Amino acid sequence: MDENLIPISFTINGEKVSKRILPSLILIDLIRDQLQLKGTKPGCLEGECGACTVLVNGSAVNSCLYMAVNIDGKEILTIEGLSSIEQPLHPIQEKMLEHGAVQCGFCTCGIVLTTKAFGEECKKEGKIPTRKEVKKSLEGHLCRCTGYVKIIDAAEDYLTHPSV
Amino acid sequence: MNFNIESPTSKEELLNCLRNHQSGYFRLAAGFTDLLIELKKSKTEELTVINLSQIKDKQFTGIDIQPSGIRIGALVNVAQIGKNQSIRKSFPVLQQAADALASGQIREVATIGGNICQASPSGDLSCALVALKASCEILKMDGTIRHESLNDFFRGPAVTSLQKNEVLKSIVIPANQTNKLKSGFIKIGKRSAMECSIVSISYHFQLGADAAILHSGIAIGAVAPTVIFCREAADFLHKLNVNKIHETDQLKVAELIQQSASPIDDQRASAWYRNEVLFNSAKSIFEQD
Ligand SMILES: Cc1cc2nc3c(=O)[nH]c(=O)nc-3n(C[C@H](O)[C@H](O)[C@H](O)COP(=O)(O)OP(=O)(O)OC[C@H]3O[C@@H](n4cnc5c(N)ncnc54)[C@H](O)[C@@H]3O)c2cc1C
Ligand code: FES
Ligand code: FES
Repeated sequence: MDENLIPISFTINGEKVSKRILPSLILIDLIRDQLQLKGTKPGCLEGECGACTVLVNGSAVNSCLYMAVNIDGKEILTIEGLSSIEQPLHPIQEKMLEHGAVQCGFCTCGIVLTTKAFGEECKKEGKIPTRKEVKKSLEGHLCRCTGYVKIIDAAEDYLTHPSV
Repeated sequence: MNFNIESPTSKEELLNCLRNHQSGYFRLAAGFTDLLIELKKSKTEELTVINLSQIKDKQFTGIDIQPSGIRIGALVNVAQIGKNQSIRKSFPVLQQAADALASGQIREVATIGGNICQASPSGDLSCALVALKASCEILKMDGTIRHESLNDFFRGPAVTSLQKNEVLKSIVIPANQTNKLKSGFIKIGKRSAMECSIVSISYHFQLGADAAILHSGIAIGAVAPTVIFCREAADFLHKLNVNKIHETDQLKVAELIQQSASPIDDQRASAWYRNEVLFNSAKSIFEQD
């Protein structure tokens, strides 16, 4: 059995990790069950809801449709990686609270990470996104509670004040 | 789900993998966005997945712009296509189809090769590429390349001409012959985000003097067993001024497009509804801008 395990090395939330994994292991199971990082949420497990979103080399992907073997040599960021002792909440999270964009919170971690990735992309291109673009950037997320308006308000507030 | 996985990192390793598995049960995978959903529902004990996504070879991963056309490696992801400036400028229909596919998270990993090889009648990139008269470069196990037009490559829903000893290497789109274009992608779904098409239409018209249509490509998705190239409609439009198409001619084009479809009822829409939407969307091509 053991010779079937595949060695992978990656960075998660700034920490280097080496592991031997089952070939068919999916990234979300690696993150939640093996690394015990439960902020990454299992929703639909079919790429529809975005609750499982993490950043791989800075890009938002659905960890429920990503093979763990393919993170070899890459950098992963989960919601846990956004906070530090000095700054327990990331500015995006502050905005989400300020705008009342969190109810049950199941969708929130994914939305925060997608907004972070989109913010970096905008910064690189030196552009301030329009509300329409903010909305489009969140198309891969479902929220059963809020009705989206407050989420879009929060994301827009953050993305149009890039210095914060 | 419990399968074995092999991850070749070069063309040579890939060919070796193919040779080693010819007598067994294997599947190819690139972004895994279609394949994983399929495998979660099937028996996978004896399966080996050949994971293409770690291949570094530029022929698979690059976008190469030549005077004769543009070559897109099968492993190029949908987000890269949506952001590529040359594609945006020369083939707006493809850029729009890429932007309309699924969500940002899926676009980041889903590949153009996977979209084609899935051979879904509602594949968004497939639809745009058929309108662009793209062709496939298929790598055979002996290292040779087979060429085939994308239109011929599709044989039915989820069926292509690809053999067990072949892999899609790249897609070639012939260069435009004129600089002026009218090119776009219409996608009708149940909602505007994350929706598989009920109907899609791709059009790419190359215009000469007086906005006359000199070369045209029209393809429709989700209304037949494969994406369909609408030859009669494309021929009918030859030499017409794209800005001054009479209403009777617009209706004629919509009718010809509708005649190439053979929609079915499914969970997303009825055949009747698809026919109506197709007709009205086809008519709207010349009402836009
Ligand atoms: C939530 C969700 C929403 C979606 N929405 C859309 C949408 O709006 N529009 C749309 O068109 N699609 C959509 N899809 C389908 C899918 O994302 C696309 O078809 C995608 O382009 C597939 O690419 P992939 O690299 O992930 O393919 P994979 O899943 O890796 O492979 C798909 C198939 O192609 C084969 N294959 C892959 N690469 C090659 C190759 N180089 N040579 C030979 N065979 C190969 C595989 O064996 C497999 O059979 C959606 C999927 C999900 C999960
Ligand atoms: S759990 Fe991954 S997208 Fe829903
Ligand atoms: S806050 Fe409950 S799902 Fe979004």
